[in-house]
Amino acid sequence: MHFSARQTWLTPVLAYVAAALILAFLSHSLPRMLPGDFVTAMYGASDVTLTPEQAAGLRAQYQDDSGFTAFLGRIFCLDWGYSHAFLAPVSALFFDALPWTLVLMVTAHLLSSILGFVLGVEAAWRRGTRMEKAGVGIMTVLEGIPELCSGVLLLLVFALNLGWFPAAGAQTAYADHTFVQQVADRLHHLALPLITLVLAYFPGNFLLARAGMVMVMKSPFVLTARAKGLPPLRVRYAHAARNALLPLVTRLGLRFAFMITGALVVETLFSYPGLGTLLFNAIAMRDLPLIQGIVLAASIMVLGINLALEFVYILLDPRVAHAS
Amino acid sequence: MHLDAGHRIWTDPWFLTGASLLGLLFCLAVFGPVLTPWDPYDTSFIPLDPPSARHWLGINDGGMDIFAELMSGLRNTLVFGLTAAFAGLVLGSVTGLFAAWKGGWVDQILMRLADIVLAIPSVMILILLAAFFQPQPWVLALTLAALTWPTTARGIRAQAMTLKNRLHIQAARHMGGSSRYIIFRHLMPELFPLYLINFAAKLRMAVFMEASLAFLGLFDPSLKSLGLMISYALKYYYMDIWVHWLMPPVLLLSFLIMGTTFVTISLERVFDPRLKTAL
Amino acid sequence: MLTTIKKLTVQYTEDDHALLALDRVDLTLAPGRITALVGESGSGKTTLGKAVMGLLPDNARVQGEIFLDQDNLLDFDEARMTPIRWAKAAMVFQNGAANLNPVHRLKYQVAEPLIQRGMPKKQAMALAGTRLTAMGLAPELADRYPHELSGGQVQRGLLAMGLILDPPLLILDEPTAALDAVTKSFVADVIHACRAQNKSVLLITHDLDLAGALADDIAVLYLGQVMEYLPGRNLLAHPAHPYTLALARAFPTMDAVRDLGGIRGDAFYRMVHAHAADNGHTHVHTHVAAPDAFHQGGHAPPEGCLFQPRCTQAIPACSLGSVDMEITPDGDHRVRCLRGGIARMLHFEQVAKSYGKVTALYPTDLTLMAGEVFCLVGETGSGKTTLAMIAAGAVSPDQGTRYFQGRNMDLWMKKEAASLASRIGIIYQNPAESVSHRLTVFEIVAEPLRIHNTAADEAEVKDRVRSALSDVRLSCAPEFLKRYPHELNMGAIQRVCLARALVHEPDLLVADEPTSALDPSVQAKVLKMLLTLQIEKGVTLLFVTHNIGLARKVADRIGVMSGGRLIETGPAARIINHPDHEFTQALIRSARGLIRPRAAASSSA
Repeated sequence: MHFSARQTWLTPVLAYVAAALILAFLSHSLPRMLPGDFVTAMYGASDVTLTPEQAAGLRAQYQDDSGFTAFLGRIFCLDWGYSHAFLAPVSALFFDALPWTLVLMVTAHLLSSILGFVLGVEAAWRRGTRMEKAGVGIMTVLEGIPELCSGVLLLLVFALNLGWFPAAGAQTAYADHTFVQQVADRLHHLALPLITLVLAYFPGNFLLARAGMVMVMKSPFVLTARAKGLPPLRVRYAHAARNALLPLVTRLGLRFAFMITGALVVETLFSYPGLGTLLFNAIAMRDLPLIQGIVLAASIMVLGINLALEFVYILLDPRVAHAS
Repeated sequence: MHLDAGHRIWTDPWFLTGASLLGLLFCLAVFGPVLTPWDPYDTSFIPLDPPSARHWLGINDGGMDIFAELMSGLRNTLVFGLTAAFAGLVLGSVTGLFAAWKGGWVDQILMRLADIVLAIPSVMILILLAAFFQPQPWVLALTLAALTWPTTARGIRAQAMTLKNRLHIQAARHMGGSSRYIIFRHLMPELFPLYLINFAAKLRMAVFMEASLAFLGLFDPSLKSLGLMISYALKYYYMDIWVHWLMPPVLLLSFLIMGTTFVTISLERVFDPRLKTAL
Repeated sequence: MLTTIKKLTVQYTEDDHALLALDRVDLTLAPGRITALVGESGSGKTTLGKAVMGLLPDNARVQGEIFLDQDNLLDFDEARMTPIRWAKAAMVFQNGAANLNPVHRLKYQVAEPLIQRGMPKKQAMALAGTRLTAMGLAPELADRYPHELSGGQVQRGLLAMGLILDPPLLILDEPTAALDAVTKSFVADVIHACRAQNKSVLLITHDLDLAGALADDIAVLYLGQVMEYLPGRNLLAHPAHPYTLALARAFPTMDAVRDLGGIRGDAFYRMVHAHAADNGHTHVHTHVAAPDAFHQGGHAPPEGCLFQPRCTQAIPACSLGSVDMEITPDGDHRVRCLRGGIARMLHFEQVAKSYGKVTALYPTDLTLMAGEVFCLVGETGSGKTTLAMIAAGAVSPDQGTRYFQGRNMDLWMKKEAASLASRIGIIYQNPAESVSHRLTVFEIVAEPLRIHNTAADEAEVKDRVRSALSDVRLSCAPEFLKRYPHELNMGAIQRVCLARALVHEPDLLVADEPTSALDPSVQAKVLKMLLTLQIEKGVTLLFVTHNIGLARKVADRIGVMSGGRLIETGPAARIINHPDHEFTQALIRSARGLIRPRAAASSSA
């Protein structure tokens, strides 16, 4: 049993380390696979103009053959190269943008997960009622609208036509705000991108939680819990929902690729100064060191989050920890 | 049970709505060019001309007919989606079946490989590839397939493992059926609902990816795409273009994703609530 | 606490129809008594348990009354049911581990009802631990998650959980299914202990052995209706309802000696639905869904006894009106049977027969119940063939009275001999001699139909002959029908004889050493077929054999004959395992090969 318990956490760790190495290797070797002279190939069509010294520096960085291990070392030392479009080190740009993305993503995920889970559980409990049917219908339709479309619509209606919310940015520039005003201002800016993301993530969570709950509610142990004279709320959450949480966590990891893509789009759409917008600008200006740095750093963060989710799952389901 | 499910699927309103939406969009993609006399790459019209009887949705900033662009973009999006979904499905099903049938270390290696690939955020690889090499869309579609096969492989493998131990398949083996016979005569047909669900789910994911990546400017800007159209139209949001330029690609994209969503959800619900594949 | 269930009816509605799970069930669960509910799966056993707990699914429509002392639970809503559950009535559900939440530890789940009712968590956990230890689960097992426990440990845990609040009523749903023998007997001990503590126990099971051994009272459910109430000890030995007999016969007990027999026919569930009738009105009715029952528009609801299509003793009246519970003459049982329980097929009072000075049969009493297999065992010349032929109406006794289906046989024979003969089929010891060698197979089998003139035309004769032949697994090809007996082997001839005996669907089949002239391999085949047909046709079988080993495999009851006297009769298990009479004991010993070995010298010489 001890061996299998170790294997439970060892397998995902190994898989994620391997995935991280593959990602790092790709971002190391892909630029080197470009035909001809790197700087000409990349910056020939770019908006960035380079001085001869900068060009020489880039050549040195991308054509030196100090090898993959040296590259890994540079990643760990946060030496991710220099952005000639923004005239700043890549890591500095990355860590400037990161907090904004974190605020947006963490809030969106928390809101949509809690909301989706609770409403999904309650919907499953009221299965067959008119309210529940309507709820499932609305959620299914919402699940069919991509962030790109809902974002555009929200932007048009609430920012451009009604003018209730700002159309771009994360805060009012150069405003002389008190702390409270500043928080309010940031929330005001956060609202539309946040709503877009919540609208994108929430229906999926809702439908999953509901489906999981409907399955769990058929389990004999739920009937036993009721038979034991436990009050309905306790039966619903301590017994049924606790088990319905499991598929939700599994699927969250699988949906991540979707979610990052959506977040990139939403940040770009609302010119929110996070990683997505930074990446968009880097792509637009073909600033390769920046693209490479953001992709690699963001990927590793995603890997970290997914790995954490695996452990959450192991914590939530005692069966995994002891399964052979 | 499957016969019953086959019947039930045709009475499920969600499936019918989704399938008709998709059917309509497929028809538009196939016959779109016949509906309009204009070439989507013809830049000889007056830029930003509003809709007229000649140009149903007007002209964009580059002097191109928006309706022709829309049809062409829809077609490109669908081709991308179908390529990625089909390739991913084939790759995943073959791997899953193979792993389930062989078992042992083959299964172990393939599934650990699946774990690793599954962990890699596919969008990041696509961004890297697109940014460095600006490849043709089909290359990106195949790359996407190469990154998303594990979800299918896992689902197919799990189901094939349980099927493999069912009595009627054991019986076929006892009767002397070869692996080939059992895989082709029993396993593959019985997994049919799983293929459908996976294909629909993958199509949805691929269409979403294409639109988003094109919107972010990662696709060849000379090719028409719904995402790219939205991105261009947004630049002119201050002008009165949103009804005829911004909304059509937004709506078309929504309908496309909605259609695949409805079909996926309905297939999952009808065929087996436990067959959970990634949306 | 007295639990009284009155006229409990439960329907599960589904779309446009409903399934009738329980139909006016009455049941009383008294303190200190174990009541068992037995029946096939789908008979509504579990529904009754869930109904008492108020845990039926939303699509269940419930009528009737369930009283716990003075409170009618069916008037209670969820909020008022919650405190009653587990405190007044607890249930141990079937399927073991599935009833435990996989993400909580066993001890916590056992303690949960205590915590919920206000006991401090620490104290509750300690009490749960004590109770689990009392059930034989060591503390480290109590702290495990359900998936880490074996089936037997889970069942002990569930029992501890069910008894944690000391409820006056404990409902156990299949508590021993899929358990090893040791845990099974432990569960039985727990149930006994509950009775000793003056609890009411409702034991839902299809394990008749367990029910018979444990229960004070038993209710037998069939398609939602109670068919029989009986004392537990009588379940296997003296069932009064044909369904109970069929159930008992189908159940593998340690005591059973005869091969298992199923219950003929099949029934799935009772469906209630409405549809337009021929007269334009909507018409709501109940009918039994079975594999061969096709629904045709505008028909009348099937009336009468539910078990009638599968019953071996059904009479026309059985399919007419609904049937009420009646107390059997001995007063121990209550049966839902028009015929007052298993009917007598044949009844002899002091029947005797002599041939000249030789007394073949001394005055004898004998009763054959409908649907049973009765074996007459004895040596050659013991009078068993005489008795069998008297039963078959082929020989008339010198004295005594014979009743067949309640009618005096001799009077019946005088008035309408043919109608009596058509109800009895006979198979003889020597098949080759029992058929005419001038007749073809077809003519042999058709003979009874021609004799009794029961077939409307030649086409019907052909049909019935063909179906009789296929019943005995013989060919119906025209070439075979034209064969003569001498062209067949002995086994085939005996099967032709069996077809002939069954072609007019008799109620009683008398088989006199039907397999003694056959090779052992053929004998086994014919015997197996005979028993299958006995169940399918529901015919009563009087089987005569000198081989007690054979009788053991075939009989529900055995009668042992010696010297013209019926010296012992009883259930096959009793006769084989605990024979009373010396002669029977000797017979069994010799059959077991326990004859005293010969002197060793004979072999060395």
